[in-house]
Formats: sequence, C-alpha cells, structure tokens
Amino acid sequence: MSLLAPIICDNGTGYSKIGFAGNSDPSFFLQCLPNCNCYSGTCFTVISGPPVPSKPGQIASKRGVEDLDFFIGDEALANAKTPGFGLNYPIRHGMIDNWDHMERYWEQTIFKYLRAEPEDHYFLLVRPQSPVIVEAPLTQSLQTEPPLNPPENREQTAEIFFESFNIKGLYIAVQAVLALAASWSSNRVTDRTLTGTVIDSGDGVTHVIPCAEGYVIGSAIKHIPIAGRDITQFVLNLMRERGETTAIPPEDQLRVAGKVKENYSYVCQDIVKEFRRFDAEPYKFFERFEGEHSVTGRKYNVDVGYERFLAPEIFFNPEIYSSDFLTPLPQIVDDVIQQSPIDVRRGLYKNIVLSGGSTMFQHFGNRLKRDLKQLVDRRLDASALASGSALKSSGVEVDVISHKRQRYAVWFGGSLLASLPEFYTSCHTKAQYDEIGPSICRRYQIFGSAT
Amino acid sequence: MSNVLRPYLGAVRSTLTAALTLENFSSQVVERHNKPEVEAAGSKEVLLNPLIISRNENERVLIEPSINSIRLSIKIKQADEIERILCHKFTRFMMQRAESFIVLRRKPVPGYDISFLITNTHSETMLKHKIVDFIIQFMEEVDREISEMKLSLNARARIVAESYLLAV
Amino acid sequence: MILLEPHNVIIQTTLGEKIIKPSSLDVAFVDYDGVRFHLSTPQSKTLLLLSMHIRCWDELVKYGALEILQREYGSLLQPQAEPEYNVSLVIDLEQIPASPEDRSAFILSIALFKRNALAAPFELAFKNQKALESSGSGQGELMEIHYRDEEAIYVQASHDRVTVIFSTIFADETDRIFGKVFLQEFVDARRQPAIQNAPQVLYSNRDPPLEIRHLANLRNTEDTGYVTFVLFPRHFTPANAPGTISHIQLFRDYLHYHIKCSKAYMHSRMRHRVAEFQKVLNRAKQEVATTERKTVTGRTMSTR
Repeated sequence: MSLLAPIICDNGTGYSKIGFAGNSDPSFFLQCLPNCNCYSGTCFTVISGPPVPSKPGQIASKRGVEDLDFFIGDEALANAKTPGFGLNYPIRHGMIDNWDHMERYWEQTIFKYLRAEPEDHYFLLVRPQSPVIVEAPLTQSLQTEPPLNPPENREQTAEIFFESFNIKGLYIAVQAVLALAASWSSNRVTDRTLTGTVIDSGDGVTHVIPCAEGYVIGSAIKHIPIAGRDITQFVLNLMRERGETTAIPPEDQLRVAGKVKENYSYVCQDIVKEFRRFDAEPYKFFERFEGEHSVTGRKYNVDVGYERFLAPEIFFNPEIYSSDFLTPLPQIVDDVIQQSPIDVRRGLYKNIVLSGGSTMFQHFGNRLKRDLKQLVDRRLDASALASGSALKSSGVEVDVISHKRQRYAVWFGGSLLASLPEFYTSCHTKAQYDEIGPSICRRYQIFGSAT
Repeated sequence: MSNVLRPYLGAVRSTLTAALTLENFSSQVVERHNKPEVEAAGSKEVLLNPLIISRNENERVLIEPSINSIRLSIKIKQADEIERILCHKFTRFMMQRAESFIVLRRKPVPGYDISFLITNTHSETMLKHKIVDFIIQFMEEVDREISEMKLSLNARARIVAESYLLAV
Repeated sequence: MILLEPHNVIIQTTLGEKIIKPSSLDVAFVDYDGVRFHLSTPQSKTLLLLSMHIRCWDELVKYGALEILQREYGSLLQPQAEPEYNVSLVIDLEQIPASPEDRSAFILSIALFKRNALAAPFELAFKNQKALESSGSGQGELMEIHYRDEEAIYVQASHDRVTVIFSTIFADETDRIFGKVFLQEFVDARRQPAIQNAPQVLYSNRDPPLEIRHLANLRNTEDTGYVTFVLFPRHFTPANAPGTISHIQLFRDYLHYHIKCSKAYMHSRMRHRVAEFQKVLNRAKQEVATTERKTVTGRTMSTR
C-alpha cells in the first residue's frame, strides 16, 4: 500500500492544530476556551465529560464504556452546560497535566475527526517548547530558564501512542525548529538551514528562541509577557479612553477589540510622523468598524483611530502599555543572540523567523529588522571607536523573514518536514519501541536541513 | 485479605522482615565502591541462601538475601492469555516508572514478573516495616487489579458488541 | 462516542465552510482503510474537485460501484478521474440547494462518498438474494473485496441469506488477545433477548469458514481470524438496507477503535493504581528535616 500521509498534531497555544502532512493548512482547529483565566496559553485542548471516577474500585469493574462519553474541542464547549459534564484542560502551562484525559483526547481526534487508522500512519507531535510558569502577569521577574519539558513526558507520550494506538512511527519535534522549517516556504530563503532565531508570539506569551543547527540553545531563551491578549486589552483601553466603547455592549467589547486588532492594525515606521499623518487627514486614516450585537442584533459602529498603529507598538515601546515590563522586543532579540555562543550569532542575526498570530501585523518584520539593525550597528561603531583602529567591521547582516504561513507556522513546518522522505527514517518506529522501550524518545534526531 | 491468601502473605512478610537485616558493606573488589552484592554476585560469602515461597505452581516469591541488599521477585498468577497480557502490561507500566518507586527493579529476574531490590541505603533511610507493608500490599492488590481489569475488559467487550449489533 | 459515524468529518466541515466563503483549496486527507481523498479547486474557487483513491477500486467497479455513485451523485460524477485517484466528483458551489436542510443533506451525501462506493458489493448481494429467493436454492457469486493489505471482506448471497465474512489480522499481540475477547462477545451477545433480531455472528480462529475455504489466497496463520455475519432478508428490507450497509462496512474500524479505547482505559486504571502504590511506598519514607543552608555572607544556596 502506498504510504499514507503522516499526521501532524500541534497542541499549540490557544488551538490544537491537527491535520495531514503535505497540506498547507491543518484540517482541524480545536478551540481552546476563549478568555480563560490562565495566562500563558495553558489550556489548549478542551475535553469535557464526566470525570473519570477517582477510584476504579469494584464498581468500576461492572461499569461499561462511560469513559467514551465525552467531547473535545468546540463540541466540548457546547456541551459544557449539560449536567454531569464539566470542562477539563488536560494541558496546563504547556505540560500535560492529566494523562487520562489527554489519552482520550487523542483517541477522539484520531477516530472521530481524522478518521485514520493509527496503525497505518506515522505521527509527528509537537513538543511544547517551554512551559512557562508565570505567577503574576507582566512581571519582570520571569524565569529566564523555564523548566523544559522533561523527557519523562515524552516517554509517556510514546507509551500512549505506541501501546494504545499501535502507531507506525512517532517523531516528537521541537516547536522552534518547526517554525524555522516553515520559513523555507518563503521565497527569500535560499538555503534550508535550521539555524536562526524564532520569535513566537501567540495569545499568552512571546518567546524568543535561538536555534543552532536544529538544536535549541536553551540557556538563551527569553520570554516576553506581551502577546496577543495584551494587545487586545491595550486596544480596548485606547478605545475606552476615547469613549468609543459606549456604543458597544459590554460583553462584546473584548471581541470587538480583538477584531479591530486583527483587521485594522499595522506597524508604523515612526510613531510621531504617524500621529501627524492621522491628525492632518483623519478621514483618510480613521476607519469605521461595524458590529452587530450578538444577542439583540442591533447594529452599531465605532471609529478606529490611533490604535491602528499603537496596538502593535507595545512590542517596540512597551512603556505605553505596561509599567513593569519595559524592554523593547528588538532589544530582547539582541540580548538573546548576544547570549548565544559566538560562532552562531551571525546565523542567528541573519535568519530571524516570525511565527504565531501576533506577529502577523503588516510591516512587523521590517520594523523589527530596522530597529535591530540600528542596535547592532551602534554596537559595532562603538567597538570600532573603542579599539581606536582604522579597520572597520564588514557589518552584520540582519534579516527578518516573514512568510504567508506565519499564523500556523509550527504546524506548517511539521507538515513540510513530514512530507520529506527523510522523515520516515528519522521516526521512532513501532519495532524500535518494542525492542528498546519508551526511552527511544530521549534521542532526538534532526533532519531536513540542507547543511 | 482473603483467608486463603493470608498464610502465603504471612510467610512472605515474616521471611522478608527477617531477611531485611542489611548493613553497609563496601565492595571487596573495587576500592571505594559499594554495590548491592546480590546483583554483583562477586563473592559467595556475602550471599545468603535464596528462598522460594510458593503458593502453587503459578504463584511464587523468590527472596535472595545478601549482606547489603535483598532481591525479591514475584511471579503473579496468570490463568489465561488475557491475564498474561494484562499482567505483562501492568508490570511493564509500573517498571517504566521505576524511578519513583525507589525499591523497584527496572527488569524482573528471569522467570518472574516483577522484582524489587532493597539495599541497605533504603532500609536505613526508609521505615523498614513500611517497605514490607508496601510489598505485601502490592502482592495483595495486584492479583485483584488484574482480575478486575479482565472483568472490565469483558464487560466493555459485551457492551461494544451489543451496541453494534443493536444498531444493525 | 460508541458508534463510528459513516460520513467523513473533514469533507463535511470543509464543504460547509466553502459554501459560505469560497476560496482556493488544496488538501489531501484520508479515511479509514487507507482511503485517500484529495479536495482541490483546480479551475476556479467555486468548482471543488473531490477525488478518492480506494485500494480495492477495481473490485468495487466489478460489483457495480460506478452505477451506485452515478445514482447518488448523478452529474457530479466525472467520467475521467484525477490522475492517481480512482474516482472524482465536481461540486459547483454556485449550484447548491438553497434551503438549510437541503444544503446539509447535500453536504452529508458528499461526505458519504466512501461509504457509497463501498456499498456496491452489499447492494449487489441483496439484489442477488432477491433473485435467488424465488428459485429457492442456489448461491450467488462470492465477491471478494481486498480493502486492506492483508484483510478482505467476502460477500455472498444465497437464496435465504447474505453472508458477509471479514478476515481479520492483528499485528500486535495485545490487540490479538483483546480482539479475541471482543469477537467472542460478538458471538455471545446474540443470546440477549433484545438482540435476538441482530444478524448471527460466527467467529473462527485460523480455520476459514466453509464459504471461502476453496479460495487459494488465504493466509492461515495463528493471528488470522474470520468473522461471519449472516444477514437475513429482514436486515435488508429497503428501509433497513442503507443503515445495515453503513454499519457493516465499518465493522473492522469499530472493532479496532474499541480495542484501542480499551487499552486507553486500561492505561487510566493502571495510572490510578500505580499512583496508589506510590502513596503506600511514600509512607515508608522518613521525614527529612530540611534546614536552610547559608553561606558565610548570609546568601542562600538554591538549586537551579
């Protein structure tokens, strides 16, 4: 039988993205609970159902198949109010918290949604990069070295996939590496390298992850407590200050702010000039957002003004939003690269890759590139001056790659890698698992890069 | 505990308690090494006589004492194919997590399903009678768990078959 | 979810989305038993091309799959299938029934593409049985559908019944044993009064049933089994037939789904039990007093 497409599972921030390799978009997004009160994108996957009885005692032996009576994703949200059902989040802080639920979650994804016989497929799973545990939002005292996903977690995953589902082969990939691979689709990328800096900004936290030849430089990773959710909140604040929100029903305000952010925002090159342009010709730049009350259907509309360019500006001038976190994104990227080993820094500057929904703003890449280039050039000039020599540095190439698939970059990177022929030889196969056991997952093999 | 099981477990308990007289003992072969002698089996004089407590031909316990360590291996009852596979799965699952079960050995001794290795460090840092309790409780519950798993498998199979056939 | 659904969810959701908002598309996906689908918009955004590849297509065509697809999809069916695929449908998003009910019924019928193709041998067998019934004896042709590499469905009509035989192979030892338990229950379940009307199920390990014993290409190894369903005319009255077909097609997938779910359930149990044992062992641990250690200057040492 011809090989069937491998299945890519990314239990990523906000959504679980599942689909088949070779496609450009995942087949399913299983939604996370909107506005849940967990900070760092902790609840990816929702599973609802009567909880597994805590004590499978004598009664349990008589009971039948109640553990099949549950829903995942959107259906779980729809059924959350049914008596006896509750919402559960098997993943917390990027780590699988409840393996029982997670196993059942996978069970239903495979059989109900993908309709795939797991025995015929290879799987590529995305290992969450860094489960950040943030105590209070927006504090500078972030852990710079997050506890990386322990290998035991991977072993348990392998145990589930090989023993319960008898899958053909498993590859556990690293988020950042997949994001790098996704950038190969951009026509500006000529060599398929796995060295680069990944800026991954989702709903909860923004990560800056340096990668050298497919391996993450764990000691240099940094996290920024500014991401999609904060931008939305900031947009809302701006609109409130101007008094626009009076027209919007209170329960819709956050949603409207989110829409405004997604549809009208862009990154400007100079904030002062932009203000002037807006003031000179307000009719040209102000937009109108038309909404509809979700319950009554009443129409309303609001003006969208400075928040168009101010919203993403909090990455570059965080002081306009928060008083705790003040380091601009380009500065953080520079710090991260400076903390990495010296022999990969050129590669890291040259290949800065964006991933995640909150990097989708227009001109985001250009602005980041410009600011970062300034920082680097300034340092080079300073060192040339300090050394007093007449020799001049040839300069450092800084490049930020944006591409079309940024939103699902991680998933797309997985899809790309899994359609390479080398994928099959890099997988851990069922035979290897039976021979060696779950510890095979401690071995991580990179493939696919041209160098 | 069922009455039929009591003498068997009683015998294991008293033997194990008696055998758990361990002391620190440095390796005779390598300087500054300290190995569980029952595993190293380097010299005969530090090994004691192994002992088998057998309930019937399918269930037995092997206790191998030595001066600084003791190895206890259990053969769990397996009446049929299903129990064999469930027992295999269960012990494998547990041994996979041997790290957190300090006294559990990652591999069973050949001919047995699961083995424990208790060294003098364990008996010094942990309560000896509680370790014995743990092993006895394990033996007591593992049989029950496996037969319950078997029952629930059958129950599931029945429901699955019925709901399929009802729908045809 | 106990029973599997006969329709493909990806087709259903994608079509639903595209009707509302047409856009260009190119996705490949699968269904049970190695069926591959390809949904694309080669010409314009409103013309969707859905192609399917089934392993046993040639056999299905022999048993009249094309006629059934023609009946179900009419002009949607393309005379020439997309390369690398067996059969294609073209769905024009501009000519879709307008009312919501008709629309969802239409989407559902497309999502049943695989089911309809695989229905051919069953429908043929039901028809043959009707024909044979009047003569009162005789047997129809034995139809073989090799729907997987090593497994096949055999369908044969005779004057009073239709026999459906599945050959099963379990690659994994655990699956084989679990499968045996499940199949035994399928055989026994009929003793329940409520299920008296269900088709009779027979299960044999290794020895093929009489109907197919003469076939040359059977594998007789320890891990092979044969499941026989005996369908009587009451199971395929015009009202019941479509449901029976959808259902019986998915037998293997249903079985494997539940074997896997049982293993997942066993894992849950084991996790719980192991956690219990862990608690017992933790009782043996002595409390170790942790004193904070400081350096001379008063700084604490912490582990990173």
